[in-house]
Amino acid sequence: MTLVEKVCVLGAGSTKYGKLPDSIADITTQASVSAIESAGIDPKDIKASYISNVFGVADKQVHLGPVLMSRLGIPDKPSLTIESACGSGSVSFREAYVNVAAGFYDCLVVTGVEKVTHTGTEWTTTYFAYCSDFFYEGQAGASFPGLFASMARAYLTEFDATEEDFARVAVKNHENGLLNPKAHIQKKITIDDVMNSPVVASPLKLYDCCPFSDGASSVILCSEKFAKENGGDYIEVIGSGRGGSAAALQGREHLTTIPSTKIAAEAAYKMAGITVKDIDFAEVHDCFTIAEIIDTEDLGFFEKGKGVEAVREGRTRLNSDISINPSGGLKSKGHPIGATGVGQIVEVFDQLTGNAGERTVKDAKIGLTHNFGATGASCAVHIFQSV
Amino acid sequence: MSVEKQLIEHAKQGKLLTHKCTDCGHLHLSTAYYCLKCGSKGFEDVILEGTGSVATFTIITVAPAGFEKYTPYAFVVLQLDNTHLRISGFMGGITTPADLPVGTRAKITGFDDRGIVIEKQ
Repeated sequence: MTLVEKVCVLGAGSTKYGKLPDSIADITTQASVSAIESAGIDPKDIKASYISNVFGVADKQVHLGPVLMSRLGIPDKPSLTIESACGSGSVSFREAYVNVAAGFYDCLVVTGVEKVTHTGTEWTTTYFAYCSDFFYEGQAGASFPGLFASMARAYLTEFDATEEDFARVAVKNHENGLLNPKAHIQKKITIDDVMNSPVVASPLKLYDCCPFSDGASSVILCSEKFAKENGGDYIEVIGSGRGGSAAALQGREHLTTIPSTKIAAEAAYKMAGITVKDIDFAEVHDCFTIAEIIDTEDLGFFEKGKGVEAVREGRTRLNSDISINPSGGLKSKGHPIGATGVGQIVEVFDQLTGNAGERTVKDAKIGLTHNFGATGASCAVHIFQSV
Repeated sequence: MSVEKQLIEHAKQGKLLTHKCTDCGHLHLSTAYYCLKCGSKGFEDVILEGTGSVATFTIITVAPAGFEKYTPYAFVVLQLDNTHLRISGFMGGITTPADLPVGTRAKITGFDDRGIVIEKQ
């Protein structure tokens, strides 16, 4: 594969994540404008947009692309909306990346968005279950906490792990989220808080689960030539990988690993010409505490079954062995599902351009993002390097 | 009849319809259209008894719409006997993890508004 262009992220911005009062079209535009201003470009420099969103119908707006482009004063520019469940943001970023790398466009806006909290817990739980292999899972009453709880039960059965160990992931990510002014839940919690929170789907409790969030995140993606000529600080995309897994948990060889993560990570490491040891920090898909443990193993940071030990020993805390989810992760920062994958890239941009404030990972040069859809049926991994 | 409807009709009888590849013999749930191993499209029906042991499960207390009246209930992944295949489904009457240790014997018993229904044996 020959890439015509080196691809860079030139600007990035997010709304706050949480329960937001503004419409999906409004927050989509707010995040995009923030990315445009961060990049120091004019909207007329943008040649196309890639939007990621799952449940626009819940806020009465699908076909978001033309709405965004109209509000940016560039209604003649093409747009595309991509849905890949909770992995929509990174999948959309990947498609945008391919288009810049191939030389079709020199500057794109990639914006992810979700607006669901107004529908309430029962309906959000219901909508999210539509992302499962519905015939086998959602139709039998499986919620998303339930599917990850099934993986958690398998992990507890197979490895030396406890529910308190899962709780440590939540405590760690809330510590990081306290340092992130855009995080949905900025609250210090203890292991006891997690253990005493209501059971959602055993063995997972409320504080093992990320919140339902509204929010939008946006990045400006461009060729290296465009970045040098038009903008300020930028970072380079050095690896991009995608993978898939059987849609239903029942179809996977192991219940405690997510094949799509391994496939995507291997492809991204190979493209970047690096190994996992070269990664300085990672934003990983911690929709539930168990997910972060499985992710860090599948990405190669720890051997299978050992991710839990690393958490217990504090090796994934900010500025320890490997900083996992310095932003607070989905757990604390929040999980507006169409925005999450783009939001992870916003965090990497902020980290590598010196804009992460108190949660800065010291001396970081290379950051990784890992984002998947559903129980990991689809996945994208990206690797970025400071310039 | 669609593959889903055929599977449902068998589940209502407490059976599991599977597809065996006529080229390589690999066994799939009957919603497969192409062989996972060899890519062949030729299958023969194999009807399983739908018995097995619980591979993993969860007990759901915050339910999606339509399932509130059943809470708490279990979502179960069943390892089917004498095959690598697993099937997932709904199991009622489970309130604590002690009610359903991993490895518990269970069987498909039906299909209704709870999807594939699995019960302890």
